[in-house]
Amino acid sequence: MTTKLMGQGVQRVEDQRFLRGLGRYVDDVAVEQQVLHAAVLRSPHAHARILDIDVADVLDVEGVHAVYTYDDLTGPMAEPLPLLIPHPALTHGRTQYALAKDEVNYVGEAIAFVVAEDRYVAEDAVARIRVDYEFLPPVVGIAAARAAERLVHDDVPGNVGARLEQEVGDAKAAIARAPHTLSLDLTVERSACMPMEGRGTVARWDPDLHRLQVWTSTQSSTGVRAAVAVKMGLGLGQVDVVTPDVGGGFGVKINHPWPEELLVPMAARALGRTVKFTEDRREHFISSAHERGQVHHIEVGFDDDGRLLGLDVEFWHDHGAFTPYGLIVPIITSTQLLGPYKPQNYRVVFESLYTNTVMVTPYRGAGRPQGCYAMERTMDAIAAYLGKDRTEVRAVNFIQPDEFPYDQGLIFQDGRELEYDSGDYPASLEKIKALVGWDEFPAFQAEMAAQGRRVGIGLACYVEGTGVGPYEGAHVHIETSGKVKVATGLTTQGQGHATVFAQLVADELGCPFEDVEVVTGDTRRMPYAVGTFASRAAVMSGSAIHLAAKRAKEKVLKIAAEALEADEKDLQIVDGVVSVKGSPGTSIDLGTVSVLSNPLRYAFDEASKAATQFSVGDPGKPPVPEDEEPGLEGKDFYSPERATFASGMHAVIVETDPDTAEITILKYAVVHDCGKLINPMIVEGQIHGGVAQGVGGALYERMAYDESGQLLNASFMDFLMPYVTEVPDGIDVDHLETASPLNPLGIKGAGEAGVIPSAAVFAAAIEDAEGIPITAMPISPSELFTLRQEHSS
Amino acid sequence: MKISGTNVLEQPVDKVWDALLDPRVLVATIPGCERLVATGGPGDHAYDMTVTAGVAAIKGTYQGQCTLSDLDQHRGLTMRLSGAGAPGTIDATVQVSFTEPSPGATQIAYEADAVVGGMVGGVGQRMLTSVSKRMAGEFFGNVGQAITSGPVVEPVEAPTGAGPADAPGVVFARPGVSTSSTSGDGDFLKGIAVGAGLVVLGVIVGRVFGRR
Repeated sequence: MTTKLMGQGVQRVEDQRFLRGLGRYVDDVAVEQQVLHAAVLRSPHAHARILDIDVADVLDVEGVHAVYTYDDLTGPMAEPLPLLIPHPALTHGRTQYALAKDEVNYVGEAIAFVVAEDRYVAEDAVARIRVDYEFLPPVVGIAAARAAERLVHDDVPGNVGARLEQEVGDAKAAIARAPHTLSLDLTVERSACMPMEGRGTVARWDPDLHRLQVWTSTQSSTGVRAAVAVKMGLGLGQVDVVTPDVGGGFGVKINHPWPEELLVPMAARALGRTVKFTEDRREHFISSAHERGQVHHIEVGFDDDGRLLGLDVEFWHDHGAFTPYGLIVPIITSTQLLGPYKPQNYRVVFESLYTNTVMVTPYRGAGRPQGCYAMERTMDAIAAYLGKDRTEVRAVNFIQPDEFPYDQGLIFQDGRELEYDSGDYPASLEKIKALVGWDEFPAFQAEMAAQGRRVGIGLACYVEGTGVGPYEGAHVHIETSGKVKVATGLTTQGQGHATVFAQLVADELGCPFEDVEVVTGDTRRMPYAVGTFASRAAVMSGSAIHLAAKRAKEKVLKIAAEALEADEKDLQIVDGVVSVKGSPGTSIDLGTVSVLSNPLRYAFDEASKAATQFSVGDPGKPPVPEDEEPGLEGKDFYSPERATFASGMHAVIVETDPDTAEITILKYAVVHDCGKLINPMIVEGQIHGGVAQGVGGALYERMAYDESGQLLNASFMDFLMPYVTEVPDGIDVDHLETASPLNPLGIKGAGEAGVIPSAAVFAAAIEDAEGIPITAMPISPSELFTLRQEHSS
Repeated sequence: MKISGTNVLEQPVDKVWDALLDPRVLVATIPGCERLVATGGPGDHAYDMTVTAGVAAIKGTYQGQCTLSDLDQHRGLTMRLSGAGAPGTIDATVQVSFTEPSPGATQIAYEADAVVGGMVGGVGQRMLTSVSKRMAGEFFGNVGQAITSGPVVEPVEAPTGAGPADAPGVVFARPGVSTSSTSGDGDFLKGIAVGAGLVVLGVIVGRVFGRR
């Protein structure tokens, strides 16, 4: 009997390619000489009217094939880019044009697009374009946006794109009646995903087939396909989008279409040549997307045990100059802020504000790190106020295991109820306390203090809605060779989909793991898909693949039963061979079943001879039975009612240097519950990556905009990303497997969890070490040093 | 960004004042300045200019305008500068004041409020202050030298023949430099400490004085 692969730490099949330099990214596509290269003229100003664009100096540059400005765009291309996720509260949604029309609203906004023999010529040509600007006063930062003395868009009063309020119970009244109250003001700065591979697009128009082939580094190839077709006036069937290997997405690549994703295909078609655009690092900083910038005000009422009676949260979200991704990030903050708790009465209201900065789209965690920070810092403040242990205050507020499904009474980011499907928060808390040594810490802290060393401990809990809809699909095809080809439409950015999805197929079909090949993000193979975001790939495509494999198996058994003259119930599939249980000699391999599934008139090889009309079939029946199709395939879709809610807890012990204020991580512990594990090794890899990114977000990364809207740290010289030296050496991970009742495998998402509690847990630990309230994250040694000085004076 | 500083020239205020209002001096003394074209009438002190400068690897030619206003004889003036080139853009207002710290000497104090955009603003900004101060120092040194030895530049094109030095259309070019906008930058940058690279802002601040 084949061992079940679900739950096994199967080695990643993709690493053979990646580690040997054989990964194939968009820039590795179309490397032939004839390919043309694009460069973009980007606004050097945060806010300005464009008075004139003079491209005369570009036209006679040798090697330049085309230069486009807004005036060259026609039809749907000349309309604003799509507002991908409309919401009734987004009353003043705005999106940019593929090339700026009349006005620029952030440094980096695309103004002109040049296509030339190579990138060097294209950039030189860009440098020759002259633009006359009339400067407009820029709005930078949440304070300036709220003050609204200047407007980003003339027709958006107060710079407010949206205001959304949700309430359960009566929070204000509950707080007024509560025996104890506190208020907190907490801020989080901007950061960005910073994938190693930036954006990139290649397009080739086939004049003979009237088809457009696009390769793009995206998290939604079907989304790009639909947008390109609409913008270029093509039928959906004329556009194929392939997403090859992607060197990191982390959220930024879920936004689409980027201007270049439309301009490259447009130029390719107009010029009859393959065109490539590969973003450079500075372009990624100033013309892709950021996240995280929020200011929160919290009012909370609680009883003597620290039990929440009422929670009233107001926050302001900086969404940059445009809102193509709607309100997803602040909606997630406003709902997921609740974490594992049940505050009884909760009111949350946010304003999503325009600023003259790069727009905001989800960055791994997507609003949850801010929400977790707001909630967990509130828990810490309540514990400090009552003089209680921080874990006790949390424990009295937990939703209990017997209370699931638990409806929080709010509407989540997918438009569905915020209803938690399952979880075991008390068990997680016990695990994290044991893992980090919570109860032993006070003694350690005292011991260190005696040596003149400052150490602190922090803990944070989160709940993460994963696997949001609407759906994903899968296609499983057993070929006559016995090999199994699997396709799902969402894309892959290094998650190991080719491994975990193959595990699921091998388990269901009973075929060797090595015989399964998984393709993702290719609209030719699976045209119906949504995308890779919200920790949804395993839940959505994993479930769909499982269901599709099941359908394929049903067909295998039906055909095999007939061929072996046995009952389907008596059959088993082991190592790719269908046999009658207890009678191993009576067997047929999957490849042969595939041959039989497709009745042929024409033989083309030895195997196919067996399927020709004089070899098989009951003359009394049609060769392909009614309600059947030829071929050994299974296709299915998974569309859950709502998201499934993963959860976890992080704890960290830090040491702060009494002189330099340098912050060192002594221990980092994670308890993680993403339901049933498909591959624990991959889940741990996700956690490690998330923690690393969280360390960056908590201690290093920020977007340093000056008051005129210039991003001053738009390079890896100045923008600090954690190296392996800054990431804890050894992260202690413990798993809890609370199955989800919402999908056949009982799984929940795992992709973003590692980054969610970072700001909360580091702020708590530093506060514990220093005895100074930490209310703004990220925090650098210099900032901590300044805080010390402020508090000692 | 805001940049301020002072420089002292061992020359009397009236001579420094005159020198800084003389485009022939300016074109020869502003680091990286290749070409100056008077755009207003006599006394308008308005120029189009071409400057080649860079911060480290971010180097290029800028086209821009410079005007001097609020002239308060021998005491102060305001300079408005704007420029754009491949590496970025600059838009600055500089307040310049003149005092006499000791007889026969001039102290020039400048306060620039500059918006630096594009690649220079984003990548080179942390170097701008130090480099611009250095350029300002170099500029004043050049001015001092020019006062001692006299302006060395005569108009290369004068549409109306004779006329005031800042009559419209009069073009001044730095000696040894072609007047085309793509001329080499070697000579200029050499004087400016190639290693430190150069800064647009520095140029601007220099200009400020220059305008003066």
